Amino acid sequence: MHIAEGILPLGWAALWSAVALPFVAFGLYRLRQRSAGDLSFKPLVGLMAAAIFIISCMPVPVPTAGTCSHPAGTAISGILVGPVISALVAAVALLIQALFMAHGGLSTWGANIVSMGVVGSFAGYMTYKGLRALRMNLTLSAFMAGVVADWATYCMTSVQLASGVRGKSPFLSLFGKILVAFVPTQLPLGILEGAMTAGMVGLLYKKRPDLLVKMRVLKPEEVAL
Amino acid sequence: MELLSEHSQAQAQAQAGKHLLSIDARIKILASMLLLLMITSYRGFAFPLFVSVLSVLLCRKMKVSFRTFLLRFSEPLFIVSVLVLLKLFLSGRDVLFSFDLFGLSVTGHRDGLLEGLEMACRIVGAVSVVAVLGFSTPFAELMAGLSWLRVPRGFIEILMLAYRYIFVLFEEAMVIYQAQRNRLGYSSMRRGLASFGTLTGALVLKAFEQSQNTTVSMVQRGYDGAMPLLKHKPFKRSEAFASVLFIVVMGCLWSL
Repeated sequence: MHIAEGILPLGWAALWSAVALPFVAFGLYRLRQRSAGDLSFKPLVGLMAAAIFIISCMPVPVPTAGTCSHPAGTAISGILVGPVISALVAAVALLIQALFMAHGGLSTWGANIVSMGVVGSFAGYMTYKGLRALRMNLTLSAFMAGVVADWATYCMTSVQLASGVRGKSPFLSLFGKILVAFVPTQLPLGILEGAMTAGMVGLLYKKRPDLLVKMRVLKPEEVAL
Repeated sequence: MELLSEHSQAQAQAQAGKHLLSIDARIKILASMLLLLMITSYRGFAFPLFVSVLSVLLCRKMKVSFRTFLLRFSEPLFIVSVLVLLKLFLSGRDVLFSFDLFGLSVTGHRDGLLEGLEMACRIVGAVSVVAVLGFSTPFAELMAGLSWLRVPRGFIEILMLAYRYIFVLFEEAMVIYQAQRNRLGYSSMRRGLASFGTLTGALVLKAFEQSQNTTVSMVQRGYDGAMPLLKHKPFKRSEAFASVLFIVVMGCLWSL
């Protein structure tokens, strides 16, 4: 789902960077706020970025397409560290991927931050919070957060690609075609990402519920129950 | 991940060669950014292709293996081929060829193909520039260069911590993955999903534990919330002059 280096013309690359910048800046502000009172918070976010990087590099078989794809991991970080710091985590993981693996790129860094870090994180986080407010089960809420985060990311990537590469073609028709082209891989991958997010939250709840409380994912009384 | 380890090996070889490595990281970053600006704003084939050839030659000079180079280009080249096909068949008006496929009329367009190829050249050119930057610059110097460019310190610190622990956590993930495979954790779709979820959870747990240990050892070494970065020496006049000359020449080629 990464938009490769050089696909977007300068104008679009600059626009998406301008959109991404305030989110990363706000993420840094929140990081500074939270790490002022807790020295372990910065290493924790760094380690989370490393974990998200590895999760996003894990090849997952996509049966319908007969290929491998990879999860984005933004729902996980969105739930654990909140959507704002998750955008920062995604920015870090995307920069390492761009510099050393040619997944994404420097010129398309802003666009990739917006689709994965911002849209993915916020969609995942808001789905999780919304469903929890409706008293839905913890793992089911995490599953839905993973699914929605993945599909929202892929819709945003389609918007970015269609607007950036359309040339003289009409936007809506190209957007529809790109969206359809993504369906065979992204629909099952969304469900895989949901299962992965649910498995991760479920395991954390079983093994270390105190961490979920520390990360403000659950309230202390929810763990006590 | 294979790409990242290939990258580290290639960088080690480049270090042995000491070609581009000795040049100030700030100069390499600035030159790469300017080249990326030129490539993304260029309309045509010549300039990105010229930059690609130049980059391939530089990588060969740094003794980057052909395999590493191909691995680096595998994903962008896949994207390029999909984009060219999309542009050929789905956009444009000037018909290049047409045929029937299971009763459907498929038409390729000349202007769509040209647009697609132009985009392909841009992608190849831009990826080659970043490849040269990555192969020729050690991570610590790159971070110091970003710091000189006024990238916020908090961001660089997170980047350094993440890069340092990617390899540690990856080894951990591989141990868990192998153990799961040995116990038939991926023998069916359902079990595979459950195992992958457990692996992810275990990895996040490991990251939590590792971050606690890291904080303790960092505090013992005097960590007060800010990490030290490499300090740059003043710019060398010869390097600065050569890089300005290089950018001016590239700018002239770009404007042709």
